[in-house]
Amino acid sequence: MSSTYTEMPLPLRRQPFPVNDKRGSLSIIFFIATEASLFAVLFASYWYMAKGAAVWPPDDPPKIHYALGMLAVLVSSSIVLHWGEGQIKKRKVGAGMAALGVTVILGIGFLILTVLEDSEHLSVLAVNHDAYSSLFYMITTLHAAHVTLGVCMLSYVFLLPSVEPRSVTPHRPYHNAALYWHFVDTVWIFIVLFLYVSPNVGRR
Amino acid sequence: MATDAIAERLEELWETEPTLYGRLATVDHKIIGKRYLYTAMLFLIAGGIEALIMRLQLVGPNKTLLGPEAYNQFFTMHGTTMIYFYAFPILVGFGNYLVPLMIGARDMALPRLNAFGYWTFLFSGLFLYASLILRSAPHAGWYAYVPYTLQTYSPGLGMDFFALALIFLTVSTTAGGINFLVTIFQLRAPGMTISRMPLFMYSSLTTYFSVVFALPAFTAALVFLELDRKWGFHFYDIAHGGHPLLWQELFWFFAHPWVYIVFLPATGMISMLLPAFARHPIVGYPYIAVSTILTGLVGFGVWLHHMFAVGEPQMSMSFFSAASMTISIFTAVQVFAWIATLWKGKPVLTTSLLFALGFIATIVIGGLNGIVTAVIPVDWQITQTYWIVSHIHYVLIGANLFPVMAGFYFWGPKMIGRMLDERLGKLSFWLMFIGFNVGFFPMQLLGVFGMPRRIYTYPAGEGWTTLNLISTIGAFILGFGLLLSIINFFVSLRHGQVAGDNPWNADGLEWSIPSPPPSYAWVHLPTVVSRHPLWDDHDELYDPNDERVFDQDRLTLSTTWKDAEPVSLARMPEDTITPLAISLTLSVIFIGILLTNLWLALAGVVLSLAAAAAWIWPKHGPKAMLEPQSERVTA
Repeated sequence: MSSTYTEMPLPLRRQPFPVNDKRGSLSIIFFIATEASLFAVLFASYWYMAKGAAVWPPDDPPKIHYALGMLAVLVSSSIVLHWGEGQIKKRKVGAGMAALGVTVILGIGFLILTVLEDSEHLSVLAVNHDAYSSLFYMITTLHAAHVTLGVCMLSYVFLLPSVEPRSVTPHRPYHNAALYWHFVDTVWIFIVLFLYVSPNVGRR
Repeated sequence: MATDAIAERLEELWETEPTLYGRLATVDHKIIGKRYLYTAMLFLIAGGIEALIMRLQLVGPNKTLLGPEAYNQFFTMHGTTMIYFYAFPILVGFGNYLVPLMIGARDMALPRLNAFGYWTFLFSGLFLYASLILRSAPHAGWYAYVPYTLQTYSPGLGMDFFALALIFLTVSTTAGGINFLVTIFQLRAPGMTISRMPLFMYSSLTTYFSVVFALPAFTAALVFLELDRKWGFHFYDIAHGGHPLLWQELFWFFAHPWVYIVFLPATGMISMLLPAFARHPIVGYPYIAVSTILTGLVGFGVWLHHMFAVGEPQMSMSFFSAASMTISIFTAVQVFAWIATLWKGKPVLTTSLLFALGFIATIVIGGLNGIVTAVIPVDWQITQTYWIVSHIHYVLIGANLFPVMAGFYFWGPKMIGRMLDERLGKLSFWLMFIGFNVGFFPMQLLGVFGMPRRIYTYPAGEGWTTLNLISTIGAFILGFGLLLSIINFFVSLRHGQVAGDNPWNADGLEWSIPSPPPSYAWVHLPTVVSRHPLWDDHDELYDPNDERVFDQDRLTLSTTWKDAEPVSLARMPEDTITPLAISLTLSVIFIGILLTNLWLALAGVVLSLAAAAAWIWPKHGPKAMLEPQSERVTA
């Protein structure tokens, strides 16, 4: 309305500004938030059904040894990836990329274990046997799909440096994919607790 | 350098090519916002026509215009269209157009995701309406309760269309929600601290946080439904240990926040336009901001009030009843703040303000009968009657359609560059307001007299005939009023008075640029020192040394989330066709699932991943730092 100049309010003279793409990281955090709600809803459905059932789970609980092995694979992959991101930030690109490669291999290992576990478990409990089996396979398969997506993301980052200069720090795509990978790992911890440990402990 | 020369270069950088490819590939938030508005308006018209046909069926006893199955399909398509494909997308449209302009940014934070959100919204809507063409529309209401919606009781593709279209829409809504959150947190003009944000930002943030946390419940419920229907899973099948009530819990956990999702941005719009016409700054800014956030939060704790009649434990029912009554306090705070603003100002009674006042009157009636409905014994009496139909329409038309119309008359001139006709607008308002009340107040009485919802006809001699006739007349008056506004829009598009930058003398940043705004919005990015940028002594565009031009590339300023201090430049993407491509490949997935053809669906997944990879493949060279602007400008 008025055209009088009062003051330059803020340190706008601190130019030149760097070009920064933090937007991607914030978006992936919100994406993780909505994905986390999805898994929270699935766990809530699990407990909701447990509350209404006389015996829970109505079928034999799943064997725990595979799940723990898979947990070890994922947790170690997260540790390796986190270490790798630290290396990238220190501009040790080779070590960072090696860690990324190890993570991808561990992720694929997890998926192989999933297939092995499912083929064994499916002979005992069919997918559409009852509500419990529906939910059990829904949660574990959805998680496996997330691991697959995570592996795709990490492999994609592995391919990126051929166009992106390796000196850009912190390596934004690396960081974003790592955030997602850590989330996928965290979900597995909850799955092991709720779907594998708790029914086995409760039965004893 | 002369401003004109800079403007020319900015235009070259930001403009959308006027070719077919350019139009399909554009990521301009103003174009996408308008597309959202037009598409949502078309859905409003479609849903409105469905409603009028239903009212014709109910105009008297024992009519035969629609059979029972057709009637079910009509009310389902009406509810689904209005609630999912009109009420929210129209607000996304306003948000898309206005949020960057209100905070002084040149685009949304994620422009390609923005385009993607629009295309998926459009395709999911077309997906739903394909069911109507194939004559197998869904028929179980917008809430689609199981077990009625399971394969046994609802064979055919109708409910599959419903479930898949809405899962598809979820993708669009989530993408849009994340985009708004990132935009508001990172792209506000220097100086627009969190306590100086326009109130529309508070309502938008609350809404899109709700979207992020509430929507997955609906997605999960719909996925369960599809698995039950198509692949013989047993989530809702009581014979195999499933729970029909699980659907209701998940659905209402999502759907009650959804009511606030389609309501809060509308209140934000009212808080923006009311002060302009009252010619007084909004009264109680912090109270409105806080009560907006609280509405969103408490909105997550009221869902059980939709289920008082299904037999929940006494304790939890009491809790949810209390929460439902509490939430009316937060709405009341806003209502009183609006009234106080009008009281202290010198209101100018324009069409836009009339719609805002109509909104306040309607939301008070709808809110009050909502409190009545939250009382458990009363709810047991009136649930499943026309009382509820009346309540939902008072709340949703009151809280969504009237504010949207107010916003349409307020920001319409900004978007089209011409004023809308006031005389026709006022006539339209009075017809809509009177038609609405004549149409929906009798339904409250009908509910008390015991007329159940969702019946396709009724016998004579129940005492419902006259009231139904009045209601139908009202509905047609409402429809005619809306038609007048649509005609007004098209007439004014050509013959309206030229609007100029700030026809209402309003205080928001969006009024500091020409109408319609150029593609780059500002030559000099604005700075802000108060809550009312255009009403204070600070000139937001003052920039004698061209320090805030940023014309090296598609650039806008990125600031800190709380104090809005400029920290970096955000480089915006070029126009690209990948958002459209990925929306199409997603459609392939849903068509594959609909036809139970998993190979087709898998092909869609692979194509989508490929399109996503192409989307995020970096296109810029290694320019981490741009050359200092001032040197180049003086050179």
